[in-house]
Amino acid sequence: MIPVLGLLAGLAVGLFLDPSVPVWLQPYLPIAVIAALDAVFGAIRAILDGIFNDKVFVVSFLSNVVVAAFIVFLGDQLGVGSQLSTGVVVVLGVRIFSNVASIRRHLFKA
Amino acid sequence: MTLLTTMMERPLDAGYQEAADRRVAAGLPGATSTRTVLVVVLAILTGFLFAVAAQSLRPKPTAAAAVKKELVTRIEALQKHGTDQEAKVAALGKQVRDYEALALQQSGGTDLTSTIKDLEVQAGAVPLTGPGLTLTLDDAASTDAGADAGSRPSSGFQEGRVTSGDLQIIVNGLWGAGAEAISINGHRLSSTAAIRFAGQAIIVDFRPLSRPYVITALGDSQGMQQLFEPSFAGLYLSQLTDEYKIRSIMAGSDSLTVPGDSAVRLEVAEPVGPPVGSTAPGATTLQQGTTAPKRSAGAGVAPTGTGTSTTRSPSDTPSGTTDSGTGSPASPTSQENPS
Repeated sequence: MIPVLGLLAGLAVGLFLDPSVPVWLQPYLPIAVIAALDAVFGAIRAILDGIFNDKVFVVSFLSNVVVAAFIVFLGDQLGVGSQLSTGVVVVLGVRIFSNVASIRRHLFKA
Repeated sequence: MTLLTTMMERPLDAGYQEAADRRVAAGLPGATSTRTVLVVVLAILTGFLFAVAAQSLRPKPTAAAAVKKELVTRIEALQKHGTDQEAKVAALGKQVRDYEALALQQSGGTDLTSTIKDLEVQAGAVPLTGPGLTLTLDDAASTDAGADAGSRPSSGFQEGRVTSGDLQIIVNGLWGAGAEAISINGHRLSSTAAIRFAGQAIIVDFRPLSRPYVITALGDSQGMQQLFEPSFAGLYLSQLTDEYKIRSIMAGSDSLTVPGDSAVRLEVAEPVGPPVGSTAPGATTLQQGTTAPKRSAGAGVAPTGTGTSTTRSPSDTPSGTTDSGTGSPASPTSQENPS
């Protein structure tokens, strides 16, 4: 419950402050969001599986975001930024889907 | 394939299982609490990230859109300002006329009130109420797509649209059919009013109109309808309806109001000699007005000058001097009317 409140607090702060994102950071933002979503759903599944570990969560979250952003950066430098972004989105999207499916099985037994 | 299999079947980080295994081996419960500082901080960070991303990635209003919005606001504000000022002009004009009447009375000269009233009516300076016709014109239904009321296409001529030429012909036809006063969308057509176009917009007396176009013509509604329909303008209108599906509705009414033309202003003033004062009828003054050489100075732009004035100059004549250089109620657009 407390992490959920924290999430809402973060959302509220972000909406309220409305910080301006520097232009050089903007291409990585969508990918970072997808990576963060993947880490969050992984953590929820781990909680339901009974094997949650806060350090693993933090490390996986940060590494996800950083690696996703790095891949996009690399792609941009190589001139295949949009293709690599698509790849990252596909991989993370598949992971999110399977994690959510697992969460669904835990919650609804279906 | 290994990659795909791993991705599909074990989407969870293997790290979770390993950490749990280590903790169980150390005699601790497999899962840690979700209420640790780390988790809460990261949750806040995640929420923040989502909010920032959502806000910064939402399509932003471009600079052009901002400018457009600003312009729209300014146009609306100025239009409102203009409307307010028009109302003020109308109120002040009425006040001026009242004072003029009072001054005339007090000066003890010939009673010109009825002449002035008559001329004001003819010049379109005062609102009129009476029986008449309303003719509502609207673009064909086929042009409705993508055109809200008041909007206009950026380019191109669509034949289903009412043009200024259509309005001119119809208004001329109405004058010809005996209309005594005409207004379009609440703009009185005085003798100097012109129906023109700018781009796709129809402009009456320099004010743009938006569809539908409601033409109010005061006069004998039965008689006007009978004269109008077989006339050239009436046939033209029925052609517009048949060929281009331009919508038109004509309805008679017992009580219609046309506003006064707020743009009427003094163009020429000259003293009324005693003979005019004694032979008061408006027709005489009118003729004097149209033949007076001075008229051309002020009314050079207008086909028929309009101006209703009452100037008081005690030194000039015993009475308040009055002149109304007034055209016939027919507007310039009516001069080539067919009937």
